[in-house]
This record gives sequence, structure tokens and C-alpha cells, in this order.
Amino acid sequence: MRKTLSALVALAMLLGMVSLAAAEAADEVELNVMMSFPRYMEQWEAYAQQFQEKMLLEQNVKVTVNIEMPSSDQYDSLLQARLAGDDAPDLYTLHCNNLGLYNKAGHLTDLSAQPLADKLYPDIKTAVSIDGKVLAVPLESMAWGVLYNKDIFEACELAVPRTLTELRRACEVLTENEYTPFMLAFQEQWVPQLMTALTLGGLVSGEKGDWLDRMYTDEASYEEVREIFDVITLIMQNGTARAMEEGSQQGAADFAVGKAAMFVQGTWAASTIMEANPDMRLGVLALPVNDDIGCTRVNLSTSTVLAVYPETPEMEMALAFANYVLDDADSSALFESCGFNPLATCHDYPAAFWVEDASAYVAEGYAYRDLVLPSAVTDEQGKLLQELYVGTVTVDEIIETLDATFQNANKLN
Amino acid sequence: MSKNIRSALIYSALTAGMLFWLFPLLMALMNSFKTNGELLVNVMSWPVEFHTDNYLRTWETMSFLRSLGNNILLCAVSVSLIVFCSALAGWKLSRTKTRLSKFILGLFVFSMLIPFSAVMIPLYRVVLVLGIKNSLFGLGLVYAGMGVSMAVFLYHGFVKGIPFEMEEAAAIDGCGTIQAFLRVVLPLLKPITATIVITNVLWIWNDFLLPLVVISKRQHYTLLLSTNTLFGQYSSDWTAILSALIMAAVPVTVFYAVFQKRILKGIADGAMKG
Amino acid sequence: MKSKRRQNQILLLCVLPALSVYLVFKLFPAVSGIYYAMTDWNGINREFGFVGFSNFIEVFSDRNFWRSVAFTFRYVAVVTLVANAAALLLAVAIESRRRMKGLFRTIYYMPNMISMVIGGYMWMFIFTRVVYYLADDWGMKFLDVSWIGNPSYAFVAIVVVSMWGSVGYLMIIYMAALQGISPQLREAAQLDGAGSFAVFRRIVFPLIRHAITICVFWTLNSAFQVFDVIYVLTGGGPGRATQSVALNIYEEAFTGNVRFGYATTKSTVLFVIVLLVTLVQLRLMRRKEHEM
Repeated sequence: MRKTLSALVALAMLLGMVSLAAAEAADEVELNVMMSFPRYMEQWEAYAQQFQEKMLLEQNVKVTVNIEMPSSDQYDSLLQARLAGDDAPDLYTLHCNNLGLYNKAGHLTDLSAQPLADKLYPDIKTAVSIDGKVLAVPLESMAWGVLYNKDIFEACELAVPRTLTELRRACEVLTENEYTPFMLAFQEQWVPQLMTALTLGGLVSGEKGDWLDRMYTDEASYEEVREIFDVITLIMQNGTARAMEEGSQQGAADFAVGKAAMFVQGTWAASTIMEANPDMRLGVLALPVNDDIGCTRVNLSTSTVLAVYPETPEMEMALAFANYVLDDADSSALFESCGFNPLATCHDYPAAFWVEDASAYVAEGYAYRDLVLPSAVTDEQGKLLQELYVGTVTVDEIIETLDATFQNANKLN
Repeated sequence: MSKNIRSALIYSALTAGMLFWLFPLLMALMNSFKTNGELLVNVMSWPVEFHTDNYLRTWETMSFLRSLGNNILLCAVSVSLIVFCSALAGWKLSRTKTRLSKFILGLFVFSMLIPFSAVMIPLYRVVLVLGIKNSLFGLGLVYAGMGVSMAVFLYHGFVKGIPFEMEEAAAIDGCGTIQAFLRVVLPLLKPITATIVITNVLWIWNDFLLPLVVISKRQHYTLLLSTNTLFGQYSSDWTAILSALIMAAVPVTVFYAVFQKRILKGIADGAMKG
Repeated sequence: MKSKRRQNQILLLCVLPALSVYLVFKLFPAVSGIYYAMTDWNGINREFGFVGFSNFIEVFSDRNFWRSVAFTFRYVAVVTLVANAAALLLAVAIESRRRMKGLFRTIYYMPNMISMVIGGYMWMFIFTRVVYYLADDWGMKFLDVSWIGNPSYAFVAIVVVSMWGSVGYLMIIYMAALQGISPQLREAAQLDGAGSFAVFRRIVFPLIRHAITICVFWTLNSAFQVFDVIYVLTGGGPGRATQSVALNIYEEAFTGNVRFGYATTKSTVLFVIVLLVTLVQLRLMRRKEHEM
């Protein structure tokens, strides 16, 4: 009998630990927020702190905001693991292109009736809406293309190239003046992938209007857009060495100190560039795909958006936080300190100077809305471009693989 | 003469190999004291001046002491659970000779080859159902579940080699099973317990994927998780990253320096018995 | 003697704590994994359907998966061979020294204490910054190759880093085995005029057979699951040139089409492969051990 008892004690100890662990939950309002940009951790922590103080003062509620910021290459995996486990955070960031997918799975809350919805600029509101419902708070919105160093361009007396021929000529001139035309930083696969994003975007909004729609119904092929590889090859042949050993941040820092004249990279890299060289005169140009000027466009995209999980137990507080992100008094300071562009009427700070170039393209109509490709295809493009760069795959093989990947993604979704 | 030359050659080869082995650690250490500008110019130079800024900054952002405390707590919970549960089980399994005991031992041994990737997602679901996410005690239980099979196996093997008489004597004295276990058996198991403690501490201390998934609140972050967050924050600044790497490596290195003999012996014993 | 039944009762009570955590956190997840392997569950949708064995059939024609399997086999073969040879060599060399034995042992084992995530990042620094500095400014031209971008050199880099992290462990085991051989035996052989290689082959080698079995078992098992080193160094790239099975599974489960179910199918296949290889290895080496 005593033996049995002792063994039971051991078991009870074990169970005790389980319940002890479970009892840790506090009885105040807690918000769990998952975000994908650790670089702005300090800014967001401070903002969450402000939110907590505001709630305590105005509503007498003690809120604790837990911000989880995994590094960006692990972010999607973690978010998916949490969603799959019915353990979603109350608010989370995602890429605007995934809104459709997440909406279909029922992971987004309709924010149309919230005060924040009325503050958004119209075209940005469209970008975060599906069927007229605002489904997320936009955070990063930008027009981007190729970054270039204005000092180097002026030193070589170069004008901004608008066609492939002009770009080719620009590369020759730069090389003659002993500048490397392009910064290549291909270690992370999403960076080479930007080249396909820009070229496909330019082509589809210019000449090949229905290509993407037909891809989604298995009726088109990458064969039709083969010309994108002309400019991609040009970039690879005129780039810095050791591209695979260069991470995106390192590339930005090297570009800032003049190791190359151009860098196919979004304006989100601007903060790193300006940090590495505060005197940098940064410009943005649209990447030419061919000699049709109508295909030379900048990408107009809303990338990171913040969504509210529909089944959060703290819906009221979660909505309050979402609204606070576009707060009339405090939002401008946050957005400016993260280097985000103004995107709502509550923003009254000037946009960064490099935004002007891109805005000029947009004003002239040379912009396209970010294409939505299945993420399996986007990933595959990045991988294949790495392989193209190191020479283990040919353009023909790339076309074949991308067609197969696209069809497979169509089948699965 | 030729013997001396040969010996000298072997010594120099071993020393060269040793330097190569230490090279990444030394480079990380040396460059972590530089400013970023200095590092970009020359990675092989001695730092002009020992900048401790990097360390002060990472100390803050990593919440070093809190993370370290979490690691220690996690290791203490998991390892004591593993030791207690498996010693009891391994001992009794070894002393009982029935078909059931064979079956149970087989059950433990069978799982040692299951790759972690195969259990990760279902395991995460179990953790959520039990409500032990974001709890270091809960994570300790998970580690116990994953670690007991090897430990049971080791204890089982070890008990076979110790005589039965003392337990019998204890039984005659009127000790119950648990009492006999605690008073007589557990002290006898000390050598193998040391091995089990060491191998499990090393494994749990350095594990990354499981805490990444199970812990989402920063106040419960382990050292590796805090370091990982820092990579994202300072991804273009090698000096900050290197100082974080060094800081994350320091506690184990100290642990190693202090218990070196025991660790090396424990590792060897553990492997040879397994 | 107590009755079998009574014995079993006590046994069960003693095993209960260990068995319960083991069942809940290891066996149950492993078994339910097999169920998920037969579903089309993806990480985003809430509902999923049972698809029977179709995932398993798909695995057989999955080119990327088998490419990663081929890579893993190549990696396993090289690492098992090279790491064990290096560890044995080190163990013999260090064990026969009189001085600095402790220092050598300490240093060579040290990387094992450090997490491969940490060590991997340190090596990343070496392979992306230091190596090129040495090549450009110190004239060590042989280092001027693409350590991450060229699939063959990336393979070398991965092997170097994983050796760095594992050779010390193997070395400690071999040293323990070597210490078990009596010096008299060795001296006797040397008096007989046997050269040192002959001594090693005829006297030492047979006596450390058991240690070799253990070490090979350990390297095989861990090499098949290699993830950390590759994830940190090359991320499986360029493209999928250095993708191991574990990385392929991770890719399938968390990126692209996020097919959790299908990823679990792949893990199951990996488990079967590891099981088969381990069984074959143990059988082969045990037989050899007994022949001695």
C-alpha cells in the first residue's frame, strides 16, 4: 500500500507541475502581437508602451502587449505553426499579397467599420481590401524598382535608362569609368527573386496583359515571357563578384559605400543604406525589360500589413491597438522613425527624399500594382535564379520548372 | 633522433590543428571588440582599442541575465525530471524479468531513431492542448518526454552491473519500493547519473527549434532565442552579432572549464554503455 | 519470489512517470504524425481531408525530395568516413603524447559544447568575410573560391563545419577505448618487431572495434538528420544544391504551398530510411565484432 502511495506521489508531482505551469496566466488583458520586422523592434516596443499607458489613462485597463519578433526568415514558419495549432496571436503581420489566402482560411477580421479605415489613402485602401472590406492595417507601402547612386551616375554623365538598350549602354559607360554597374547580393533567395518580380510586373502591365490570368488557368507558359531573362542576364554579367556570399544587408551597406552603381532592391533597404553612408544620394529607377518604354515601370506595392485574428478573446483591445497604429496624434512619429511612407490622412510628415524619384514614375503612370503569384512560385523563382547565377541550370530548364511549379500550386489551392 | 623529429612533427601538427579549431572563436572574439568601420576595413587586425559598446548593447537587447536564468531553470527542471523518472524506471525494468518489462524497454528503445522533424508539428499540438505553451516548466516536461528513452536505456544497462544484495537487505529492513530506491539504489547510480545529467544539459541548453516554437513571450526566452532575435535586429552589423555569439557561448564555456574532467568522462561513459 | 503479477504491478508503478511523459510527448506525436501524413492538411486552412496513401505515392515521384535524399547520402558517407578517420587519428596521436595531452583534448572537444547555431554563424563570418580578406590582402589565393555559391565548395564548407562540431565527441570516445588497451600488450608487440602501423592494425584496431561501431552509429544517425549547419550556412542553396532531407521537409512544411501533411509523409519516409540503414549497419558491424 505504501509503495502504491509513494508512486502516486511521484505522479502527483508530475501533474502538479503541469497545473503549476497552466496557472501562470495572469488575469489582466494581454495582447499577443507577432511582427516580422525585428529591425524596428525598439520603435514598436516603445509604441506598445505608449499604448499601454494610454489605455490605463483613458479606459483604466491594464494592458500588457507582448510583441514577438522572430527573424524574418523564420517568421512565416512560426506564424503558420501558430495558426495551424489554433494558437494564433491576437494581431499579426503578413504580406499584403497573402491577404486572399488568409481571408479564405478565415484568419482575418473585417476592419471596415473601424476609424482607421476612413483615414487610409484611397489606392492603399483598395490594396488592403477584398470585396470592399478592409481586412488589414497597412504598414509598409512603397513604390520601388532599382536603387541607384546619383553621384556615380553624375560622375559618368549618365541619364536614367528607360529602355534595355539604354541600360546596356549605361553598363558599358559605367564599366569604362571603372564602376561596377550592379550590386549582387544573392545569398538570400528573396533578393534575386526581385528581378523576376520587377520584369514580370513590367511586362504584364505593359504588353502581356493577360499572361498571369492565363497562368492561373494553366493556359500560359513562362516561354511567353522569356525576354525577362535578357535583362536578368545583363544584370548578372555586370554585377559585383561573390554574390552568393553577400547577404542582403551586407549588400545594402556595400552599395552605400559605392561598390556598385545600381542595386535591384526595394526602398525598404534605404534605412540600412543611409545608416552606412549618411551622405548617400540615393535614387530610384524603373528596371527596363525590353525597348518598350511602356514596360519600364516601378512596383507600387503594399507589403507588410497588420491583421486582427477574428477569434481573439480580446477583440475590443485588439481593435483598439489596430486603430492606435493609425492614431492621429502618435502614428506619424512611429511611421517616420521606421522609415515607412505616409499612407493615411493622419500622417503629416514629409516622405523621405528618395521617394520623390519613384513618385515621379507613379505620377506619369509608369507604375504597376504588385503581381500576386503563388508563394511556391515566388520561392522557386528565387532558388532558380541563384542556380542560374552559379550556372547549374539553363533558362530552358527554368521555364520548364516554373511552369510545373505554377501548375502544381494551381492544383493545390 | 628520428623519433624526436617524428614527435616534434606530431606536436606541431596537433598545435596547428588546434589553432584551426579555435580560429572561428578567436576571430569572433577579436572582431567583436571593434567598431563596425574597423571591421569592414580589416578583419585580421588586432582591435585598435577594445570597444565594449557592442557588449553593453547586446547585454541589454538580449536581456542576458534573464535569458541565462531561463536557460538554467529549464535545464534544472528537465534534467531532474529525466533523472528521477528514468532512474526509477530503468532500475525496476532491470530488476523485473517478465515479458512486460521486455516489452516496455523495447518501447523506449524503439523511439530513439524517430527524427525530430516527424514529431514536431503533432508535438506542438499536444503542447497547446495541455496549455503549457510559453511555460518553461511545460517545456521541461516535453524535454523529459523526449529524453527519458535514452536515459532509461542507460540506467537499465548500469543496474545490471550492480549487485542485488543491498536492495534485498533494504527490503528485509522493511523499506518500501520507493524508499529502497531513494535510500539504496539512487546513490549507487551516481556515476551513470553524472553522465546522464551532462549529456542532457548539453542537449537542452543548445536546443533551438523546440523553444522557438513553444516559447513566444520574450520574458521566457532562452539564450539562443534572444541571440536569434538579435540577428534580425543587427543583421548588417557583424560586430554586434559577433558579440552576441560570444556572449551566448560564454556560459557553456565556463561550465566546460569548471567541470571539464567530469564532462569528458561522462561523455565517454555514456557513449560506451549505449 | 513474489508472483509475476505482483512484480508487474510494482514495475508499472515505477515506470509510470517515465512512461507517461514519454507516451504524451514522444510516442503519441510520432504515431499521430502518421495520421497527418495521410491528410492534405496545409498550415493555413483549418479543415483538411483524409487522402489515404496518395501522399506516399507522390513522394516517389518527387524529384526535389529524392535529390535531397541523394545529397544527404553523399553527406552521410563523407562525414561518417572523414569525421571518424580524423577523430581516430587525433585520438591516437594525442593519446600517445606525454605532454599537453589535456590541453589538446580540451580544445578539440570544445566546439561540441557550443550550439551549432552559434558555431554556424561564426563560420559564416569566416566564409563570407575572413576568407576573402585572406585571399585579397594576404595573398592566399587558394581561398578565393565561392564557399557558399559553388555547390562543390559549399559542400566542403558544410562538411568542415560539421566536422568542427562533431570530431571532438568521437575523439573522446576513441580515446576512452584506447585507454582500455594495456600498454604491456602494445610493448610486447613492439618487442616482437612490429612497426607502429602493424601494432595499430593488429592489436589496437580489433580492440576498439566496439567504439567504432558506436561512433559510426552515432554519426550515421545524426548526419541523416542534418539541419542546423546547412540552414545557417547555405540555407540549402544555391537553389537546392545543398538541401538535406531535413531541410526539404522544413521547406515543404513551412514555405511555398505549406503542406504540413505531405511534409509529415516525407518525415515518415526519412524515418524508414534511417531505420533501415541503421539496422544494416548494426548487423554488419556486430558480425565483424564477433568474428574477431
